[in-house]
Amino acid sequence: MTAAPRLAWRQARGAWRHFVLLAACVALGVAALVAVGSFATTLDRTLAREAKALTGGDLELRAARPLDGDSAAALADLRARGAVIVGVRELVAMARGADGRALLVEAKAPDAGYPLYGRLQLAPAEPLPALLANDGAVVQRETLERLGLRPGDRLALGRATFTVRGIVEREPDRAASLVTLGPRVFIAGDALERTGLVQIGSRVRYRVLVRLPERLAARDTREALARRIADPGIRVASYDEAQPGLRRFFSQLATYLGLVGLASLLVGGIGVASSVATFVRRQAPTIAILKALGADSRTLLATFLWQTLTVGAVASVVGAGLGAALQPVLIRLLAGFVPFALEARVEPLTLARGVLMGVLTTLLCAMWPLLAVRDVRPSLILRRDVDAVPARGRRPWAAALPIAMGLAALALWQAGSLKLGGIFLGAALAALVTLWALARGLVGAARRLPRAPWPAWRHGIGSLRRPGGQSARVVVALGAGVMLLVAVALLHEALDAQIDHERHREAPSFFFVDVQPDQREAFARVLAQAAGDDVTPTLTPIVRARLAAVNGVRVTRDLVRRRVGEDREGAFYYTREYALTWSAAPPPGNVLTRGRWWGPEPGPPRISVEEAMAKQLGVDVGGHLTFDVQGVPVEAEVASLRKVDWQSLGTNFFVVFSPGALDGAPVTFVATARTTAAAEGAVQSAVAAAFPNVTAIPVRDVLERVGAVLGDIAVAIRVMALFTVATGVVVMAGALTATRYQRLYESVVLRTLGATRGVVARAFAVEYACLGAAAGVGGTALACLLAWIVLRFVLDTPWHLEPWALLAGVVASVGLAIAVGFLATWRLLGEKPLPVLRRE
Amino acid sequence: MLVSIRNLTLRLPSGGRMLTVLDDVSLDVLAGEALAVAGPSGSGKSTLLGLVAGLDTPTSGTIVVAGAEVTRLGETALARFRRETLGYVFQSYHLIPTLTAAENVAVPLDLAGVSGAPARARELLAGVGLADRGHHYPAQLSGGEQQRVALARAMALDPPLLLADEPTGNLDSATGGAIVELLFALNRDHGTTLLLVTHDDLLAERADRVVSLRDGRVAGERRRATLVP
Repeated sequence: MTAAPRLAWRQARGAWRHFVLLAACVALGVAALVAVGSFATTLDRTLAREAKALTGGDLELRAARPLDGDSAAALADLRARGAVIVGVRELVAMARGADGRALLVEAKAPDAGYPLYGRLQLAPAEPLPALLANDGAVVQRETLERLGLRPGDRLALGRATFTVRGIVEREPDRAASLVTLGPRVFIAGDALERTGLVQIGSRVRYRVLVRLPERLAARDTREALARRIADPGIRVASYDEAQPGLRRFFSQLATYLGLVGLASLLVGGIGVASSVATFVRRQAPTIAILKALGADSRTLLATFLWQTLTVGAVASVVGAGLGAALQPVLIRLLAGFVPFALEARVEPLTLARGVLMGVLTTLLCAMWPLLAVRDVRPSLILRRDVDAVPARGRRPWAAALPIAMGLAALALWQAGSLKLGGIFLGAALAALVTLWALARGLVGAARRLPRAPWPAWRHGIGSLRRPGGQSARVVVALGAGVMLLVAVALLHEALDAQIDHERHREAPSFFFVDVQPDQREAFARVLAQAAGDDVTPTLTPIVRARLAAVNGVRVTRDLVRRRVGEDREGAFYYTREYALTWSAAPPPGNVLTRGRWWGPEPGPPRISVEEAMAKQLGVDVGGHLTFDVQGVPVEAEVASLRKVDWQSLGTNFFVVFSPGALDGAPVTFVATARTTAAAEGAVQSAVAAAFPNVTAIPVRDVLERVGAVLGDIAVAIRVMALFTVATGVVVMAGALTATRYQRLYESVVLRTLGATRGVVARAFAVEYACLGAAAGVGGTALACLLAWIVLRFVLDTPWHLEPWALLAGVVASVGLAIAVGFLATWRLLGEKPLPVLRRE
Repeated sequence: MLVSIRNLTLRLPSGGRMLTVLDDVSLDVLAGEALAVAGPSGSGKSTLLGLVAGLDTPTSGTIVVAGAEVTRLGETALARFRRETLGYVFQSYHLIPTLTAAENVAVPLDLAGVSGAPARARELLAGVGLADRGHHYPAQLSGGEQQRVALARAMALDPPLLLADEPTGNLDSATGGAIVELLFALNRDHGTTLLLVTHDDLLAERADRVVSLRDGRVAGERRRATLVP
């Protein structure tokens, strides 16, 4: 066995082309994985390091109502034990500039002592209370830009006016959601009352931030607090479990990016297998000589494995370095919507993991073709006429099984979950089989097709069935890259269409929230003045309430925990603030799935409940829900269940009451209206000026904010998908290099027989175009399938056929194949025939 | 007796039908003997040599070399057998093109795990008169030089049996003569048993015994008339 490394080292000379291709395949895949892996660890570390700052404290209490009663008592106890407690109120409101321009902003009114953790970066760098004193406001730069204001100018919020005294550059705990409704405006806690925006039914978020003394552990204190505060509507979180949505989003993003990276490593694996197979075939005479000299198969297998693994390891290290170097690029691509500063850091563990992935993929993908070493018979040196291609029969399936299982294990490891890994493997296998079958079909068609009348076509198509299976490898490798890239494009298109305001003719331009009953007529008048007489608002009554009991069982923190455990999404249905409405007819677009809608005859309070909500709460038609409307319990029988299209951009409700059931409850109205894009600014200003209490949410603006985040994500995924395409290109170049001598010989023979260089070049072009077209068609078809599955089953978004994306996929892959083909083989065209023939 | 061949038959598929390459060949080679197998091309002599080395499996018959039944050895045992029992010289040399002359000679030494392989390889090359050509690649050597490298490689582990398949077939007579001298010097000085295949009468004449093959069958055998002292 000691002979193997030495032999491997010497044998490696003269095969540099093979090794360079092998190395490129591995390095690209590893680079992709390491770039994503480093990005994920950077995110993780930042989230962990900044956890207290992001949460705002060791503990955070959060509610839609003022914290009083038992929560106030519990907090007072904590304060007595040395905790520092700061209250913060946040709400969405309209800010108005001096010239009447209005802007939806996220207002925040902290008490003195904020922030407890992290640093509030202000310009000028003065303490926040000093800037906010005497009706001061500190705003995000965007607020000034959008309202045309400068520091020192005045800004109105509700009924109060403030002077802009500073700009907030960074806010430690503003990361709760990726998409904000508007820029930040800070005002003093005591100034909030004077705006008149805090009323019954208005949507203020009450937060209490707690800094604990050293001796109190966050988790334990959280548990104790949660036990004392019965109201499940008050969320109590410790810093290490806060921001679950953000964490989940980023971990999912990293997982998906990682899978795209893994795809490029697997395409690289095809390249490894392809290049090793070619190498073994070309080395067959040498292998035969070595066997005749007394080398046994085990030694030879070890020799070639040594070589391959050494190259794989070196390439993995290079790839890991490349990936690490690439990380700042990925961070910059995503910096737009990551709500905190990311510091590019490379973890040795991430690098090691990438290198290990690379080496294992090399090992697994090289093993099968290397086993052919055993089939090379030494008698090859006796009879050169015997086919040099080793017989395939002896490689047993017993060897294929561990290889396949190893690759599957790598995929599962990278995916981090059995389900996602399984889906990935299924998709990869389906893609492989489909593309392989397509390639075989192409080769079969080339064989059966009637002879083309043009020589270039005849030879180009004939070349497709050149022995050695190169066509299949090229189609699979290129097709996989095309599939990913086109799928990302299709998904992005579909989501973009979904949030493109122009395409939603029925969607309103504005949601006007908190229109008071006595403002309805004046509101319609102001709207018509600003937007035109034909614009009339649709007004829907809203009663804010909380769920108090399900089928008579009171909703308490214990009940919620018993029913849904730590599942926040489930808890959401029990604890959220509900916007209730009533209606004589089913809301347009809603579909009744169970029960019946009520008739015009009066009766006891009845409700229609959204399907998913009913399922979560475990109620059905005939069951009862009790709502707490400003302290008054209202019980109603479930009369029907509804399916709601939440993506319709209209006013949708979880719960609709029968008319009369909510009479006497404090009502506000939400108004929707569609205006022309040009009138939107004027409408916002006019409504904000006339009704300071009304919040105008501009749908287009919000959709654009979502679209921007989506765009950033799409770019990041596309960059990763490009790795797969690049690997596919390397595989193709490798496959063409493998047939280089044969190609050279053919072209020389053709030219000896009188073909011009142009004919030979055109024959090459036809061949490459066919390969590219097969990869393009197969890749885009698979991309459609993948995008459809993701849209239908994951994103629940309608699927549109995008003929341009598909056409672009096919055309681009044909162009790419021709370009790569010529880059790999153009030198052959210049070779002089005679020396080539003499060599043969 | 070093080599004992009994009823050896080999049929190969060729162009859709079975071609009989060797037909019931029986032959013995004594230890220390120099035996030439002669015959026209296509008579099966090279194949016979390959079968003795276990490079292929016969359709029927047995070959015993140095007490080992070659026809019944497994792959790993065969590799060991080739390494330890025989050296092989081919008409077209079969040097490994990516290795230098010295490295080619070192291959069997490496495979056998011999220490100091590079130095030993240089000695062996010096023995065939190529002391200063060790770092050249096969493509940089003449045919005669390549065959001398091949000979040095075949003798690297000092095997009791040397198989030579048309060792001078690709060489001009002067160069070929030098190779022939080297071969018979080994036979004479080391007692290496020599089994060579040739259609060169001059070469065959130097052997102790000549067996002629025709159409895969033994067609005749003659001993050298006079023993040169």
